[in-house]
Amino acid sequence: MTIAFVGFGALLLLCFLGFRVGFATLMVGFVGFAYLRGGGASLAMVGQQVFDDANNYNLSVIPLFVLMGVFIYRSDVSSDLYDSAYSVLGQMKGGLALATVLACGGFSAVCGSTLATAATMSKVAMPQMKAFNYSDKLAAGTIAAGGTLGIMIPPSVPLVIYGIIAEQDISQLFIAGILPGILLVALFMLAVMIAVRIDPDAAPPAEQLSAQRRKKARRGTIPVLILFIVVLGGIYGSVFTATEASGIGAIGAAMIALSRGHLRSLTQWRVCFVETAITTSKIFIVLFGAVVFAQFINLSGLPYDILDFVDDAQLSPMMLVLFITLIALLMGMVFESIGILVLLVPVFLPALSQAGVDMIWFGIVVVLVTEIGLITPPIGMNAFVVKSVLPDVKLGDIFRGITPFVVALMIGLVLVLTFPSIATLLPNTVR
Amino acid sequence: MSQTKPLQAGLRAGLQAITNTLEILSSIIIAIMMVLTFVDVIGRYLFASPIFGANEMISALLALAIFAGLGITNARDDHIVVELLDQRIRRISPRAYDVIIQLFSIIAMTLVAYVLLDMAIETLHQKARTFVLEIPLFAVAGSVSALAALSVISQVIGVYLRLTGDQAATPSGGAQ
Repeated sequence: MTIAFVGFGALLLLCFLGFRVGFATLMVGFVGFAYLRGGGASLAMVGQQVFDDANNYNLSVIPLFVLMGVFIYRSDVSSDLYDSAYSVLGQMKGGLALATVLACGGFSAVCGSTLATAATMSKVAMPQMKAFNYSDKLAAGTIAAGGTLGIMIPPSVPLVIYGIIAEQDISQLFIAGILPGILLVALFMLAVMIAVRIDPDAAPPAEQLSAQRRKKARRGTIPVLILFIVVLGGIYGSVFTATEASGIGAIGAAMIALSRGHLRSLTQWRVCFVETAITTSKIFIVLFGAVVFAQFINLSGLPYDILDFVDDAQLSPMMLVLFITLIALLMGMVFESIGILVLLVPVFLPALSQAGVDMIWFGIVVVLVTEIGLITPPIGMNAFVVKSVLPDVKLGDIFRGITPFVVALMIGLVLVLTFPSIATLLPNTVR
Repeated sequence: MSQTKPLQAGLRAGLQAITNTLEILSSIIIAIMMVLTFVDVIGRYLFASPIFGANEMISALLALAIFAGLGITNARDDHIVVELLDQRIRRISPRAYDVIIQLFSIIAMTLVAYVLLDMAIETLHQKARTFVLEIPLFAVAGSVSALAALSVISQVIGVYLRLTGDQAATPSGGAQ
């Protein structure tokens, strides 16, 4: 067990020092395994793990959903999504912030990237909120928090990564993410309403959109809605697998982009494909590191020592999940979502399985926790994304504006922990 | 100094050529993956006629897409980093810091390229093939290891150019 802790310590140190997460994880896993079993065995293990994962049909879901998100991102559909939400909610108190949350949810459903959602909505929603004198705090905080919906509402790359590590069905995980995603949208909207009630000057009333703009927005939103229904409906109805859905989703997103006047040149297509290849390779190098590191951790016996500890301490399944949640919350202050999944899940997997924890539900819990990490200091990646797109807004204002949403996420976490059926209800209907 | 300028220019041109090639290659691979998956699904559900061995083709394409993409990512050093203390530590000695960080990445990537090459040689000796299409696994593992080796080369050139203060070291490629 000591060697496992040395490994974790070395990995954390390397990550803090700025070594690339994927390479650091891979090297620590390789060296640790070599220490326990010898260099030859470790080399063979790394080769097998890397090749098997790179050559895994089920993982093709990652580039294809990333591609779907890139097409959607490049199709400028976000402005229509925002206007649609604006036309419904714009007249309410804090209506533009509410519209931003709704638009973030809608965009996440077809984009799947939290950073892309935050960056896009910074450009689309911020000018509108500025025009109606919304406070920077509320506006930027709403956008940064709304972006986090990207990793809960399917398609979600962290859910895919979790599914691979925990050997869970990715389709089931996607379906499980729907209700918690809707719950978070509702909680975020509630957070906006409360923030506006406390500080009414932060969100002056906005004007109604022109009929022409409303019509254009509706027309632009319908194809996105259809794409979402086809992709998730297909998975939910067991018509096709998550991998097949990703192919349908990518082609559908390309058609939306084409219909909106984008992707009209080979260069534009190439930009999208190259962006996808880069994002995919970044995810996979972390994934390679994760599987190699997990082999080392398994060999060290740590997961089974934890299993014994859980037995000896007579921890209930819920206590165990709460303990892991607490660790994940702390890790969320430093690591991004994939890093947390990679480091945490393999260690506790045997204990969780032995305790009979529903691993689909647990996946949703962990991803929700990583969502909190995206907007909490000191890293709070979404806050930095918003700051980079909106350099005039102070980082302190963004973090202050995020506070109500952190509370909303914590409430969401407590609800999902207390009522697991929020995550398991839909998957159970198709199991 | 006068000798390093032509060297830098040559390396920059070489890196640009590598990343351009990888960009085109990865674009073609991902485009094929997308179309193949789509046609396979449509064929399966609408015409009860899926593409024979589509899963194996897509698996092989995925491996190629990852390692083609890695070459571009490595050249740009665009990997996931925990940005907590890195800049503060870098300030102590930027050059030494960059050398250590980049050397570590190169060693790790070389390890990946080496084990994949080893796997390619092993599959060649075993004459291993995929189950459905009976594609020689050597072809897949060999191509992947070649791309991994290319990504190490692009990583080394990228690091050298960045460390020698070449502002244009991050190759933009035609697509950016």
